Amino acid sequence: MKNLTRRILLAAGVAAMAAAGGATTAAQAADLSALVWCDHSDPNLLKPFEDANGIKVNVKEFEGTGAGLAIIEQSQPGDWDVMVIDSIDVRRGVDKGLFAALPEDQLPMADIFPEVLMDATTKFDGKRYGITEKFGYNSISYNNTKVDAADMATLATLLGDKYKGRIAIYDYYLPVIGIAAMAIGKKTTELTEADLPAIKDVLLKMKANSKAVTDVVASQTAIATGEVDILVGGGEWVTAGLARENPAMDFTIPKEGGVLWSQSLAMFEASKNKDMALKFIQYVMSPEGQARLATSSCYWGMPASQKAALSDADKKILRFDEQPGFLARAQPYPAPDEALDKKMQDIWTEMLQAQ
Amino acid sequence: MRALAVIYAALLYGFIFLPVAVLILFSFQATSFPIPPFTGPSLRWYGAVLADGRLTAGLVNSVFVAIGSSTVSVLLGFLSAWGLARFRLPGEAWMRGLITIPLTVSYLIIGMGLLIMFNAIGLPKSLWAAGIGHVVINLPLCFAIIYSQMGDQQMTIERAARDLGAAEWQVLLLVTAPMLWPALFAAFFLSMTFSWDEFVISWLLTRFDTTLPVEIWNLMRSGLNPKTNAVGALVFGVSIMLAILFELVALRRRPA
Amino acid sequence: MTAATRSLAPWASVGPALAWTLAFFVLPFIAMAAVSLAPQGDDGLDLDNYRQFFVNAAYWRAMTNSLEVTAMVTVVSILLAYPFAWILAEIVPERWQRLALMLAVLPFWTSYLVRSYSWLLVLAEQGVINAALVDLGLLAEPVQLANTRLATVIGFVHFFVMLLTLTIFANLKQLSPNYRKAAADLGAGPVRTFIHVILPLTLPGIMVGAFLTFVLAIGDYITPQILGGNNELLMPQLIVMQVGRRGDFASASALSLILMAVVTVAYVACARWLKIERA
Repeated sequence: MKNLTRRILLAAGVAAMAAAGGATTAAQAADLSALVWCDHSDPNLLKPFEDANGIKVNVKEFEGTGAGLAIIEQSQPGDWDVMVIDSIDVRRGVDKGLFAALPEDQLPMADIFPEVLMDATTKFDGKRYGITEKFGYNSISYNNTKVDAADMATLATLLGDKYKGRIAIYDYYLPVIGIAAMAIGKKTTELTEADLPAIKDVLLKMKANSKAVTDVVASQTAIATGEVDILVGGGEWVTAGLARENPAMDFTIPKEGGVLWSQSLAMFEASKNKDMALKFIQYVMSPEGQARLATSSCYWGMPASQKAALSDADKKILRFDEQPGFLARAQPYPAPDEALDKKMQDIWTEMLQAQ
Repeated sequence: MRALAVIYAALLYGFIFLPVAVLILFSFQATSFPIPPFTGPSLRWYGAVLADGRLTAGLVNSVFVAIGSSTVSVLLGFLSAWGLARFRLPGEAWMRGLITIPLTVSYLIIGMGLLIMFNAIGLPKSLWAAGIGHVVINLPLCFAIIYSQMGDQQMTIERAARDLGAAEWQVLLLVTAPMLWPALFAAFFLSMTFSWDEFVISWLLTRFDTTLPVEIWNLMRSGLNPKTNAVGALVFGVSIMLAILFELVALRRRPA
Repeated sequence: MTAATRSLAPWASVGPALAWTLAFFVLPFIAMAAVSLAPQGDDGLDLDNYRQFFVNAAYWRAMTNSLEVTAMVTVVSILLAYPFAWILAEIVPERWQRLALMLAVLPFWTSYLVRSYSWLLVLAEQGVINAALVDLGLLAEPVQLANTRLATVIGFVHFFVMLLTLTIFANLKQLSPNYRKAAADLGAGPVRTFIHVILPLTLPGIMVGAFLTFVLAIGDYITPQILGGNNELLMPQLIVMQVGRRGDFASASALSLILMAVVTVAYVACARWLKIERA
C-alpha cells in the first residue's frame, strides 16, 4: 500500500513539476524574463510577440512593489529583463540602480495621453526609466440599468438616501479615503491630519448607505449578481471585464474627481537581453499590444496610448472618448507619510466597525 | 419514520454539497467569470491552471509540506504515545496535557506566535517555517489518535518479542508499529488533510515559495477567476481518487 | 537490555514531541507575551495594548461578536448533526456506512477559500437559496443573505456539521448494544431509551465536537472575512488587521492572548469530556 501511494504521489508530483517546469525546460538564451502584474500573463497578449520573435516570454507574477523588489533582491543580476511597476514607484527601482534608461526616440511617446506620461515619477536627470503602459481609476462602478447615470455625476449621491443599501465599498483604504476627500473638496495630494475628521464623517455616511465593504472578488460577485448596484472605489478595472458579457456593468468619474492608478514598464540595467526587452516594450506600446493589454483577462484598464487598436465596442466599455474629461478630474493616490498613514488606517478601522 | 430520515439525510447532503456543486459547475465556465449565467462546458480553465506556473508550483509545495509535516507529526506522535502508554513516567499527565494543548489554540495565533519568534531569532519566512507550524497543529492530533489505540493487549506481544531477544527499537519498528498501522494511517491521513488545505499559518510564514491555498488567495487578490474553481475541482478530484485508494487498501488489509 | 537503557527509552521517545511543543508552541507564546507588554521599545512593562481592549468599544464588540457567533454556530451545528449522525449510524446499512461518511467529508477537500467564495454565489439575492425560498412561497421576495452575520454562521455551520457528525457517529458506533437491550428489558420505549440512555452516553462525542467547534470557529479568519462583508468585525479579523498593514505585532499579540484566555475558560469547562482515554 505504502509503495502504491508513494508511487502515485511521486508520479503526480513529477507531472505537476513537468507542467510547471515546462516553461523553463524550453527556455533558450534569447528568452525574455519578465516580472509582471497578472494582466501580462494573458496568452492573448504574449503569443503574438512570442510568435513574431520566435522566443518565449517567461513571466513571474507578483503583487505590490514591495514584493517585486524583494523578488529582485533574491535573484541574480541578469535574471530579469523587464518589470511592470506602479508608476509612482519607478523611483524606488532607480534609486537601487536597477533600471536602464529607455530610448525615448524609439518609443511612441507622442501617442501617450499627456496626463499619464508621469514624468515626475518616471523621468530623472532628463532620462526616462519607466513608460506608462496602462492606467485607470478608483471611482464608481455601477449597474447602468438600475442606476440613473445622472446620479453618478456627483459623489453627493453616495451620501444621500436614494441608493441606500444598494452600495458596496471596495476594501482598500487609500483610494476610498481619496474619494472621500474629493467629496468634501479636498485634494488627495494635500491631505493632512486636520482633514481626517471630516473625511471620517464622509466614510461613515457611505458605510451607513452600504451593504458591505468587500475585497475584489466579493465586490465583483456582488455587483455582477445584482446584490449591489454601485461599487465605491471600483472602476473599469473591476467591471469592464464583466461588461463584455453583461453590458449593464459600467463606471464613471463624477464631477468631484476620481483617483488615478497607472502602471509602467521598466527595463533592467543588468539585463542580458536588452534588445529583446526593448522590442517587448515597443510591442506592448504598439496599437496592437496596447489593445490586448487593455482588455487582458486579469483586469481591464485604459491603454496609455491614444492609438490603441481597440474595437469600438471595447472603447465604449472603457469610455475611451471621455478620457480627456476624466483625466482632467483625476487625482493621484494619497501618499501619506507613516504617521498620517497610521491615522488613516485608524479611521478606516473605525468605519469598518461602525454599525 | 424512515421516510423522514431519508428526507433529512438528503437535505443535509444537499446542504453539504451546495457550494461545492457551484464551485465545480463554474470551473467548466466557457467565459471569463465564474458567475451566472453558465456558458460552458469548457475545459479552458483547467488548461489555464496546468499552464499557470504559480499554481502548479503551489500544488507541488503543498504536497511536500503536507507529506513532510505529516510524517514528522506521526513519528513524534507515535514515539511519544508509546513512551507515555508503556511506561510510568513522573508528571505524565502534564506531558500528555502539554502535547495535546495546541489543539485548543487557533491556527492564527499559532502562526502569529511562530512569526514573532522567527522574526526575533532571524529565521526567514519559508516553506520550512510553514512545515514547522503544520507539525505543531498536527502533532497533538496524531498523539491523541495513536495513544487511544495503545491497549494493554499489545503489551503481551511486545513482551514476547523482547523475550525473543529483540532490542527496544526493533520492538517499536517491527512489532508495535505494524500492529498499530490503522491508527498510524488514520493519523497520517488526517494530518495530510489538515496540512493540505491550511491557509493562515502558510500565509503568515511563507514568502514567495508558498503553498496552494496561499497561491489561490494571491490569485483572488486580482478578482474573480475561474482558475480558482478549476483548482478547487482538481483538488476535489484528486481527493476522491485518494479516498478510493484508501478504501481499496483498507479492504485488502482486513484480516481474513 | 540493561536497566539503564530501559529507563532511557521512554524519555528518548517522549522527548522529541515534548521538545517540539516547547520550542514551537510554548516559546512563541512567551515571545508574544513579551511583545505585547513592551511595545515601541519602551523600557518596563506597558499594559497599553491590553487596556486598549477594555477601553475601545470597537475592540470589545469584536469579542462579543465572536462569542455570539461561535455560540450560535455550536448550537445549530449540534442540532443539525445529531440526527444526521444517528441516521448514518443506525439507519444506513453497515456496509454503506463508511461510504456515507466519506461522502459527507469529501466536499471539504475542495479549497476552503474557493468554497467560501462560492458561498457568496449561493447566498446571493439571485442565488440558489433565495430562488428556492421564493419558489416555495416561504419568501415574498429575495432577502439579503450574503455579507451578513447569517452568512458567516451558515459558512461555519457548513463545516462544523460535518465535524460533529464525525464525533457523534464515532460515539454512537462505540456504544455497546447491551445498553439498549437492558433498557428494553426494563420496559423503556424508544423515546425514553434515547433521552435517558443514548443521549447521556453520547454526551462525550457531542462535547468533544462542540469544544472543537468552539475553538476552531472562534479563531477562524477566513469565513467571517469573506462572508461577513465587513459589516461587523470578529476577533480574528481584528487581529489580522493589526498585523496586515500596520505590522502592529504588539497589539495583535495582546488580542491573541486575550482570545486564548477565553478559549482556556471553555477548555476548563469541558475538561471532563476531553480526557484522552486508552483502549
